Amino acid sequence: MYIRTGSRVLALLLATLGLAQAAHAQNDSPDIPSVTGTWALQNVRIVQAPGRVIDSGTVVLRNGVITAVGRRVDIPYDARIMDGGDSLTVVAGFIDALSNVGVPEPARQNNLPAISDRSNPPNDRAGIQPERDVRDMLDPTHDSVDAYRKLGFTAAQVVPHGGMLPGTGAVVLLDASGMRYGDPTVQFMEFEGARGMYPGTPMGIMAKMRQLYRESERRMRIEALYADNPAGLSRPVEDPVHDAFFPVISGDRPLLIHTTDALEVRRAYDMQAALGFSMMLSGLSGGFDVMDAIKTAGTPVALTLAVPEKADWMEKVKDDSLASILENYDPDVRTATFRDTEAERRNLEALQLQSRQKFLAMPAGFATAGIDFAFTSYGVKTKDIAANIQAFMAEGLSSDDALAALTTHAAAFIGVSDVMGSIDTGKMANLTLVTGDLFSKDMKVRTVFVDGRPTHYTP
Amino acid sequence: MNRNSRNIILAILLMAVAPHSSVAQDVLLKGGTVLTVSQGTLQNTDVLIEDGVISSIGRGLRAPRGVETVDVSGKFVMPGIIDAHSHIALSSVNEGSSPVTAEVRMEDVTNPYHLGIYRALAGGVTTSHIMHGSANVIGGQNETIKHRWGATDPDAIRFEGAPRTIKFALGENPTRVHGRRGSGGTGAIVPATRMGVEQVLRDAFENGKRYMEDWDAFNASTDPRAIPPVYNERLEVMADILRGDVLVHCHSYRADEILMLTRVLKDYGVSKITFQHANEAFKVAPELAEYGAMASVFSDWWSYKFEVYYSTAFNAAILTRNGVVTSINSDSGELNRHLYHEAAKSQRYGDLTDDETLALITINPAIQLGIQDRVGSLEVGKDGDVAVFSAHPLSVYAIAEMTYVDGVKYFDRNEDRDDMRMLVSPSANLDTYIEQETGRHDIHEVIIK
Repeated sequence: MYIRTGSRVLALLLATLGLAQAAHAQNDSPDIPSVTGTWALQNVRIVQAPGRVIDSGTVVLRNGVITAVGRRVDIPYDARIMDGGDSLTVVAGFIDALSNVGVPEPARQNNLPAISDRSNPPNDRAGIQPERDVRDMLDPTHDSVDAYRKLGFTAAQVVPHGGMLPGTGAVVLLDASGMRYGDPTVQFMEFEGARGMYPGTPMGIMAKMRQLYRESERRMRIEALYADNPAGLSRPVEDPVHDAFFPVISGDRPLLIHTTDALEVRRAYDMQAALGFSMMLSGLSGGFDVMDAIKTAGTPVALTLAVPEKADWMEKVKDDSLASILENYDPDVRTATFRDTEAERRNLEALQLQSRQKFLAMPAGFATAGIDFAFTSYGVKTKDIAANIQAFMAEGLSSDDALAALTTHAAAFIGVSDVMGSIDTGKMANLTLVTGDLFSKDMKVRTVFVDGRPTHYTP
Repeated sequence: MNRNSRNIILAILLMAVAPHSSVAQDVLLKGGTVLTVSQGTLQNTDVLIEDGVISSIGRGLRAPRGVETVDVSGKFVMPGIIDAHSHIALSSVNEGSSPVTAEVRMEDVTNPYHLGIYRALAGGVTTSHIMHGSANVIGGQNETIKHRWGATDPDAIRFEGAPRTIKFALGENPTRVHGRRGSGGTGAIVPATRMGVEQVLRDAFENGKRYMEDWDAFNASTDPRAIPPVYNERLEVMADILRGDVLVHCHSYRADEILMLTRVLKDYGVSKITFQHANEAFKVAPELAEYGAMASVFSDWWSYKFEVYYSTAFNAAILTRNGVVTSINSDSGELNRHLYHEAAKSQRYGDLTDDETLALITINPAIQLGIQDRVGSLEVGKDGDVAVFSAHPLSVYAIAEMTYVDGVKYFDRNEDRDDMRMLVSPSANLDTYIEQETGRHDIHEVIIK
């Protein structure tokens, strides 16, 4: 059934030429069936999960499933072998807890008809499209899919582009031959107002959410009455927008709310308190002030991989002189306007720097507080992701906590812990192979396996 | 970062987050001139605040064990000033997309990080009524807050138990925003005129009334298969106004539109109304007094648009002498720092007594917000919200020195650093004041007064 390949030759090739070219050849033509679905990664450092490390061992994959992991593992006769030469680290494939990867942004429509009544616009123009399913919008050949794989991502939870209610999210595999994996996961919501029409502000969005939710609750009650016995009852009114709330109201689907500051997190909790849905949170930039509330509520969270933009002056200053700027902070400065503006400026710089560090130290703070968190790239440029993780680590985030946020905790956040997030027998063969220390500047992603198939890049 | 710079960061952090607790505290203010507003002026008198509440006012009071004594001899102690019209501490002000947005709430967008709170404290102001803007005829529910600077949770600055209020607006703002969009062209909707404003109000009340009746009938029904009426967040609020659960605060200028609203409210049985701005209220002061309507005005601010030309600095005095409960408000993050000065101007023009004048910024706005049992005068049992001035607050030489809320000192002129912000944007351009203030690169929202 399986054809034994020249595995030793391949291993030699990998050792000399590096992994990239070898597997690249294997994957050149997706139309041609693979020679074998079995792989053995040997002489690799295996980080099965944060804190669970095998310094040198073997991982065996068969048809998309991890079949063996250990220090000494029998390699099946039909396996293609990748030899790490003890310089390769294998970790569970990274998971992006919330993303638009593989979901092309719709083209801007310039010739939309004018809205006759901006106080009551059509739902789609107001960004109220909870009935949309992201699985209808996937493009496995989209550039972003490969860009994420190059960073070590193998799976993600994706949501549609849109306004305050873009639609339902789903788990996807970053697999060029097909991304869909499972049913809708969450109803997605963000505090994104409709431009120039209702609802345009955070308070309008809050009110509109209460309206949609409570009217949906009423319609659910009526549908139940009608289903029980329709005699004598008017036909229940139906529309896809309110229907989309039914699974949320019944508790079958959480509302995932994306927040961009601490006040939006507070608003999300206010809405939850008023309406009673099951809630998840993402983003949370500046969320250091809401850590207690999150810990108390036990809300699942995915922290943004974004860091604040640097102020103009910071761009011009070398990193090693930043410490002296902080040391120059003088709490006693009381400047008469337009007198000693230089002293005032020095203090402002110190405060801005301190504020930036507070943002960068947030993931470490969550870890210290014992709050499990995933990472999300939602709204973050892919080119910034690696550097931003390094910046979080420079402010105290451990490599293990960063790894958890991209693997175990991310898998839990998107509800796939039973199949993804660690290197254990029986789990899906999503793996990320790197050289260099995890998340360090020297780390290079050499290849990722998605559902047991390797994808390769020029190093 | 080395250990040394980490320690410095920690030190800065500790300073930036001032050690203010929202928990009520105890303090004895000793030997000041106490302006009670409700019970006259008491010389050389002590005010004891325990657990955030005034427990005693008198001479020779002793501080209970562990309670701090503050010497305020030579200084003037007055009730914390109350601003009945403000737009500080808000993330958004106008949901200007619809002429009626009764369903939106400033409660949802209360922003405790806003520096305006601290600035207000620096003017002796302890409570603000933070309002929706005036873009819409019915604009949204307001929030009454206490200036507990340093809290990051919006709930921590709410005035617990304060009645619900809602913003209405008449005249040029709603007609411009909705009726004259694109010079009356595309997108223009009712109201384009003052007539239209009245019609929008009557429609909203009529719809609210029917909505209330539909739900009352449903709730009274014993039929287990009765179908509940359509839910409407907006009309829920209109119904609450009709039930008397929400106090109306209406942006208005002209006498004719002020009388128009009293007629509309009378038709729908709504009795609790405070006219905001109300520059022409002096023309209809007896009518307002008869209806029980109240007024919150400026001392001498006018002519910033056509409908505000017919104005007088005697407005507050005429209203007061006609028995209308009147306050002086700021509607501004700058003017709120010298409301005592604004009140003094009304006294200067209209010959009000000291107590009548102080009432304009203390007990009267408290009555208008329905919080007069808690704040607005210095009396035993009221909240320990107190402002300490260097001179009589109606003197041009007066300087606010200390401000207490619930017995907690949130402002002290001697501890007033250059930069009191709780959150400094790490990204804003240092040279741009607005960016530093808001952390935003563009200001989309324009507050409409």
